[in-house]
Amino acid sequence: MTKKKFNWRTLCIILTFIFLYMPIGVLIFFSFNESDSTAVFSGFSLRWYKELFTDTATLNALKNTLILAVLSSIISTIIGTAAAYGISKMKNKYLKNATMSATQIPMINPEIVTGISMMLLFVFVANVLKISSFNGFWTVLIAHITFNLPYVILLVLPKFKEMDKSLPEAALDLGCTPFQSFFKVELPAIMPGIVAGFIMAFTLSIDDFVISYFTTGSGFETLPIRIYSMTKKRVTPDMYALSTLIFVTILVLLLISNFTSGKNKIELSKKAKKVMKIIGGSVFGMIGITTIVVLCISATTEVKTVNVYNWGEYISDGGYDTIDVNREFEEWAENYYKEKGKKVKVQVNYTTYASNEDLYSKIANGAGGYDIIVPSDYMLEKMQKEGLLQPLDLEKIPNCKFINSQFDGMFLYDNTYKNDSDKIVVEKDNKKTYGIAYTYGIIGIIYNSSQITEEQAPKAYERIESGEAGWELLFGEPIPDKDGKYQYDKDGKMIVDTTYLEELKGQILQFNNPRDAFGAAMYYLDIDVNNPTEDDWKAVYGLLATQKDYVQGYVMDEIYNKMEKGEAWIAAYYAGDCLSMMSESADDVELGFYYPKNKDGKPQTNVFADAMCIPASANQDNLELAHMYINFMLEPEIAYANAEYIYYGCPYDYTNIFDYLVFDENNELVLDENGLPVFDMELYEKNLAYVEVYRENLGEDYDIIYNADFENDLLNPNKLRDMFDKFAYKDLTNSYMEGTDVSNLDMLNESWEQLKVASTSMVGIYVTCLVIALAIVAYIVYVQIKKRKQRRLYWANTPTPKAKPKDEPSPDLSATAVIAIEKAKKRDKDSQK
Amino acid sequence: MNEKKIIEPKGETVATGEENVETKKIVQLKNVAKSFDGEIILDHINLDVYEKEFITLLGPSGCGKTTTLRIIAGFVTPDTGDVLFEDERINDLPPHKRHVNTVFQKYALFPHLNVYENIAFALRLKKVSEEEIYERVEEMLAMVNLRGFEKKDVNLLSGGQQQRVAIARALINKPKVLLLDEPLGALDLKLRKDMQNELKNIQRKTGITFVYVTHDQEEALSMSDTVVVMADGKIQQIGSPTDIYNEPENAFVADFIGESNIIDGVMLDDYKVRFSGHEFVCLDKGFDKNESVDVVVRPEDVDVVPLDKGMLTGIVTSVTFKGVHYEIIVSIKDFKWMIQSTDYVEVGQEIGVYVEPDAIHIMKKSEYSNMFGDYSSFSDELEHLSDANEEEE
Amino acid sequence: MTKKNILKQAAAYPHIVWAIIFIIAPLLFVAYYAFTDKEGVFTLANLGQLAQATYLEVFLRSVCFAFLATVICFVIAYPVAYFISRTSPSAQKILVMLVMLPQWLNFLIRTYSWMAILEDTGIINIILGVLGLNIHMINTPGAVILGMVYNFLPYMIIPIHSAMTKIDPRVLEAASDLGCSPLRVVTKVVFPLSLSGVISGITMVFVPSISTFYISQKLGGGNFDLIGDSIERQFQTQYDYNMGAAMSFVLMLLIIASMAVMNKYSDDEGGMLV
Repeated sequence: MTKKKFNWRTLCIILTFIFLYMPIGVLIFFSFNESDSTAVFSGFSLRWYKELFTDTATLNALKNTLILAVLSSIISTIIGTAAAYGISKMKNKYLKNATMSATQIPMINPEIVTGISMMLLFVFVANVLKISSFNGFWTVLIAHITFNLPYVILLVLPKFKEMDKSLPEAALDLGCTPFQSFFKVELPAIMPGIVAGFIMAFTLSIDDFVISYFTTGSGFETLPIRIYSMTKKRVTPDMYALSTLIFVTILVLLLISNFTSGKNKIELSKKAKKVMKIIGGSVFGMIGITTIVVLCISATTEVKTVNVYNWGEYISDGGYDTIDVNREFEEWAENYYKEKGKKVKVQVNYTTYASNEDLYSKIANGAGGYDIIVPSDYMLEKMQKEGLLQPLDLEKIPNCKFINSQFDGMFLYDNTYKNDSDKIVVEKDNKKTYGIAYTYGIIGIIYNSSQITEEQAPKAYERIESGEAGWELLFGEPIPDKDGKYQYDKDGKMIVDTTYLEELKGQILQFNNPRDAFGAAMYYLDIDVNNPTEDDWKAVYGLLATQKDYVQGYVMDEIYNKMEKGEAWIAAYYAGDCLSMMSESADDVELGFYYPKNKDGKPQTNVFADAMCIPASANQDNLELAHMYINFMLEPEIAYANAEYIYYGCPYDYTNIFDYLVFDENNELVLDENGLPVFDMELYEKNLAYVEVYRENLGEDYDIIYNADFENDLLNPNKLRDMFDKFAYKDLTNSYMEGTDVSNLDMLNESWEQLKVASTSMVGIYVTCLVIALAIVAYIVYVQIKKRKQRRLYWANTPTPKAKPKDEPSPDLSATAVIAIEKAKKRDKDSQK
Repeated sequence: MNEKKIIEPKGETVATGEENVETKKIVQLKNVAKSFDGEIILDHINLDVYEKEFITLLGPSGCGKTTTLRIIAGFVTPDTGDVLFEDERINDLPPHKRHVNTVFQKYALFPHLNVYENIAFALRLKKVSEEEIYERVEEMLAMVNLRGFEKKDVNLLSGGQQQRVAIARALINKPKVLLLDEPLGALDLKLRKDMQNELKNIQRKTGITFVYVTHDQEEALSMSDTVVVMADGKIQQIGSPTDIYNEPENAFVADFIGESNIIDGVMLDDYKVRFSGHEFVCLDKGFDKNESVDVVVRPEDVDVVPLDKGMLTGIVTSVTFKGVHYEIIVSIKDFKWMIQSTDYVEVGQEIGVYVEPDAIHIMKKSEYSNMFGDYSSFSDELEHLSDANEEEE
Repeated sequence: MTKKNILKQAAAYPHIVWAIIFIIAPLLFVAYYAFTDKEGVFTLANLGQLAQATYLEVFLRSVCFAFLATVICFVIAYPVAYFISRTSPSAQKILVMLVMLPQWLNFLIRTYSWMAILEDTGIINIILGVLGLNIHMINTPGAVILGMVYNFLPYMIIPIHSAMTKIDPRVLEAASDLGCSPLRVVTKVVFPLSLSGVISGITMVFVPSISTFYISQKLGGGNFDLIGDSIERQFQTQYDYNMGAAMSFVLMLLIIASMAVMNKYSDDEGGMLV
């Protein structure tokens, strides 16, 4: 065709491909980034490819994904092919239709509905069977088979229909048994459908996130789920590296299969078969070899696995030349057993979650098999009350003496509640520890000092410079009426002075979880977070609703990227993460931090601690190892490695000489010849050296938050307990508004729901939709009318022909035809005139 | 290049039926060449199509006949050369602006439209009033004998009916030229014969120029005013059906049109030719003395006579009963002749052969000499198979 | 014979049992939870709550976003599918492969990397910055719709393209032979004949768009809650299974209703649209 047209088409296709491949290009580009940012390119390196192969959690997730994909696609191919065979033989129309309809449901239904429906089933069955846990692998496998089945059936069924009906008969005629006939004749004939079904199932299974997300249980993490929890926290470039490798592999495979096949279709299918055979063979081979290797190892040595379920990026994992704590532990524990004369292989199965609520829903939904979890204080309390945790055996955690005395008794509970058919049975005088502090921190405010400048936001700048800034930069200052009461507009939004908000509009980030978002507002308004009144709820809702118009987004760990790149100017977040951001921000972004206080200098924020716990559903055989793991975390080298890595407060104190007293087997003090107690001076000095290095490494910023004596001694390690007593935000379950039976948790959830779903001004979008919808309807109506009009002349007075007529040779040109042609000629002449 | 092979058809050969009007060239191809992927499809051909004529492009598959048709329709742009329509160059005119319409090989009806809408399609595009559309569609339906089928889904029609819809759809536009690309190829034999008649009648009545593409020589001979024999991207011969049959230009044409025995011969003098070791009287002249030539003798023009009366003698190698006649293969001087005769002879029998002077046609030697016309490997079955393998272009 | 046939049918029984347990039963659970409260007592309160203005707006918003995403997908995909279908068969194979290739990478990570493109300091704004422009894109409704279009575009292109390849090229030639300009060939012939592909493309884009929850969180900054977000929140953070089930139930009805409308069009294969 003409050149111009050619260019137009190519341009259109090229633009689409740019659109489709742009994110992939970005991803590949940043996989070669030197720094760990997925936003700021600081230089070329292959570091992440190296790190990928040491990231055991990711590799494990990849392995899980592949095993799951292979198993689910094989099983669904077998069941599906058999089903297609059965369906093709079905004579009963109703049965056939019903089966087909049921089969298609998972294809039509949104994934999220399929996911939650299966989740409800598993929860129900677990309740009925009184099983506390389902193994995550089996539930996900069942879910994957379920959504793979329809695709397999729909790809195989047509092959049965296409198949020559006389084919099996011919086979029987030639002496095959029906069994042989199926395997030797029918099966090869439908093979292309089976192969297509298998590939489809495999692809779907590998890519599925939504359904796995809702159905997975404990300890089983697929790659998409891992990516999801990472994108909630932060995607490290090794994930980009992995994606790049996957992408390149698939690209190469496809290109090979495309270019070696040539033009001949038969040849192609042969080649494809060959390729499939090779791939299939190697997959099975690999599975086989892995199984054999695993079996061999397990035959000779005992394998002990400790399943740790922790926050994302909440442990020193060997990145940045740090200690890989989990590997260290494996080594240490193996040595420990060796000394005892046992040959044991120790494995840490480390999976992560993104929020306390994620953790809770996993554990409460009966996901067993976790040996160690790390909930925050309030969640620990809630889980303990619901009987989801088991007390720790402190005898097995000798290092617990190093816990800062401020945390003593913090996770001790007087009572053990058991959630037994709505009756709370109280067991008195049974004090037990349910958690060992892991970290602590506060919520503070991080801001971008290269954006909040005198020019761009003078008022806010001035406020921060004054050192007296608090929550007002994020929320504005409420304008009370004459009686000192808050005022609201008709939508329930609080009326505030928006000077700061206007300056910072669209640059504010807010927590994307109800607890912290409403908590922040409550701290700001000096409301007791643990005991709010109805008016208080109204006030905080109003405050957040007003803020919504000024907020750029509700985020959790996406905040990392946003703050580090200067995408947003100000946000409230957990102090440890704030420090991480400050140390990793882009070159042209300067981040500052302050903790919110009121005009009198009184802190207005939350103090929290996370603690290591053992769930009630933990495997009894792993208890020893779990305790060893916790104890190991309290080793100064390890504890400081973690603290340095994650920037949270280290709740351990190695400087107290009395922690180094030596005891004998009977737990009696060992005395020297002078009758004075003996101290383990060697250990003391060794630990002090660690403390020294640690302090040096952390530098000033850390000190500001965790160690300094600033006004009111916020987070002074020696006054922590006081802070916790004053500011801890407790669990709201079973907390009711005073004088009512309205649960505070319900209030929180409802207010959050209201806030989140509340209208945002999107009139433009609605109008556009309406216009387009009307245009489409108008077009259809127009076409219909036009069609009616066109049919008008012949539709009514033409007989509807009966069944397909036979080919009858027509007689020679009929008389009517001749007349018709004469008429046409005449009219032509007329029209020429 | 092949200029010498082109015979300008004389005005008289363009039979228009009843009327005797001055004939005018409507489509002209001048020196048109086309190749795909380096493969030459059309090798500089020249072709004139006259008004109101029924012209057939005939040739084996791959000879370029369909490409020629598509060049006229506008689906293919020639690499070189000009396409003229009523003396205007239309090389760059897209198909939808040309005054030609096409009946496609497999009809190519619009599956989403019923019979009426299919036929009305072209008129709808021109914004013709509904009343006129109705009238003209009904005319067309009457012409192709499909009245009462208006509402019918075209996918449910039989092959013959689809064929008629396709013709009606193409004709409703009143094109000056109708192109037909093997339109009867998918029909069975009986229906095919009937449709041939019908098509011819339609052409005669409407007076529209038909350019018809087929590989079926019988169809070509029985329907056409002019036959264009094509092979290897070249036009081998243009002429009326009788000319083509009786006076083939070269061995290819002789072989492709009907059965022929093509024997090497030497022209001794005007009206005198020698082949198979015997001197024959013939009606051809104008060759050089002792020029070697191809001699064509049609099987039905050879008489079987007693041995002593034969001009040549040979041994019968096979006899096949064909209904009207026997097909006899006779070996004469190591050359296998085909003879069609009503007399029965025995295999192995020695017979005499007699050839009348007017049964002998002399052709100049060409690139196709010695490629055709020997029945030594003849087999009905093979012939049949090669027909079935005829591929679409 | 019949006995044999019953035996053959039995091959389908494992699947039928599977479908009853893992497809039908779970859906009954959704219905059960939707119509009961926490104590398991029948109630319409959950559905009643959904009838509140705020929830109605969530549904309206989801429908609008999904609708716009579908329309945009169609507008982009149709010409692309058409142009691809007009290239040579070998080129088509490669182009179709290239369309599907991004789908092999997890959609989470692809969506995540869109953030890096759309941000105020992202790639687009860096390029625009050269021209002295800066457009705020992330955390807007447009970004969410873009995310949907990006993720589901191939599901629109592929069915349309495969419907187009099934069109006999001679039918298109016939159309232009009868006087259709290239554009009219598309509107009068190609479109009606590819309508089945369009319908399945629309379904394959609309359904996942209306129920997505990841895209809106990442590219919308949590500002524009869609049904999927609400459902996910009910199950993952608020533990209100009944409410979540009620939402899923309504979502399912919504989709079944829109499918029914679509099927009405596709039944007479373009009867309504052409």
